[in-house]
Amino acid sequence: MSSVSTTGPAPYIYSSTRMRVRKMKLIRHEEYMRMLNMSLPEITRSIEETEYKAEIDELSSSFSGLDLIEVALTWNLAKEFQNVLGIMPGVIKNFTASYLQHWDIYNVLTILRGKTQGVRAGKIKEVLIPAGSLDRVVLDRLLAEDSPERIVEALSSWSLYPVLEREFPAAMEKGTFGDLENELFKEFYRYVLKQTKSGVKGGKPFRDYLKLEIDLLNIKTVIRLYKGNAHVDVRNLMVEGGGFSVDELARLAASESMNEILEGIKKRYPEGPINELMEKADQSMPLHEMENALTKVMLDQMDRISRRYPFSICPTLVYLKRKRYEVANLRAIARGKESGLPGETIAEFLVV
Amino acid sequence: MVVETMTIEVAQASAVGFKAIGAGLAVGLTGMGTGLAQFGIGAAAVGATAENKEMFGLALLFTVIPETIVIFGLVVALLLLF
Repeated sequence: MSSVSTTGPAPYIYSSTRMRVRKMKLIRHEEYMRMLNMSLPEITRSIEETEYKAEIDELSSSFSGLDLIEVALTWNLAKEFQNVLGIMPGVIKNFTASYLQHWDIYNVLTILRGKTQGVRAGKIKEVLIPAGSLDRVVLDRLLAEDSPERIVEALSSWSLYPVLEREFPAAMEKGTFGDLENELFKEFYRYVLKQTKSGVKGGKPFRDYLKLEIDLLNIKTVIRLYKGNAHVDVRNLMVEGGGFSVDELARLAASESMNEILEGIKKRYPEGPINELMEKADQSMPLHEMENALTKVMLDQMDRISRRYPFSICPTLVYLKRKRYEVANLRAIARGKESGLPGETIAEFLVV
Repeated sequence: MVVETMTIEVAQASAVGFKAIGAGLAVGLTGMGTGLAQFGIGAAAVGATAENKEMFGLALLFTVIPETIVIFGLVVALLLLF
């Protein structure tokens, strides 16, 4: 591939077009609505007719029912992300790879959590999504280790190892990996924000988007803490780098009422979709609805940026995000159906 | 002081030469224009075809549309020369 030009606008045009075509192939709103009226085997068949055919066919001899859908979706997501990474030329590849590193955090924490709770390696493997820099081989090696300490040692060449090494003893002492996860994500965002300045086209608009993503992540945490009546020091829970400073967020989290929080957010976003959402939202809005609405706002905003900068890194990242939520939606439908939830309830949890 | 005067033959030869330069520029510059227009379309066409094989015909059609620019240049060059 060394003879292929990886500079100039052509690689962006090529990769953006590919990702745009793939985005068009994602499952549409009407199809989700149709799936809500189907039984689990019908949903499996319906998914088989889309991009998931290869995985469903391959796994149908070893799994059935909900397990089949779950494992097929996970496999497809990992395969798709690795495939996207494979076709990205030059500098876009490096950037996409660093953005996909959040899957590494997810995988490492899943393994650590599974191992400390004595879950079988095979069971943990089913839910891993090897889409980041730690591939299947590395993850298999981690799964073969007996203790969490050994797993951490085996990760010494991972880019986020310094944070893992620093936070791991405290996490083991406490018995929860929540703080460790927070720290890893903080470092991840710091790293990706730095990467946006590496000269990639669309880095600047993407930095703005990342700021929004961090803001929404923090807002979600604040709202969750409020709704859960948890009065803790929020400074350690907040990710830096967004539009809100940590002090502002701490003040928001200390608010007496939900309206005060919403007003604070409105002040920061005096116009645009977030403001509209805050206008609509009130005390009675359930947490999951609020979170879904915030996620939708985030995706819409990303879509807008990618339309404004059509040949940049943005269309690729929009596709990666949309694909992730497609898998989350299908999983929600399958799980909801299995538990016998009515269609309307499941629909509330979908991000479409 | 010697004043050089241009003979008819020299003037005719120069005219043919300038025509040739003009024809060369017409084809060369329009060729570059076509190339500039095609590289973006070509990159997008390859991307779209890689994802969806059915796009091939349409993608090829879009890619060759800027060829008209160089064809105009060629026509101008031929008119100049003949």
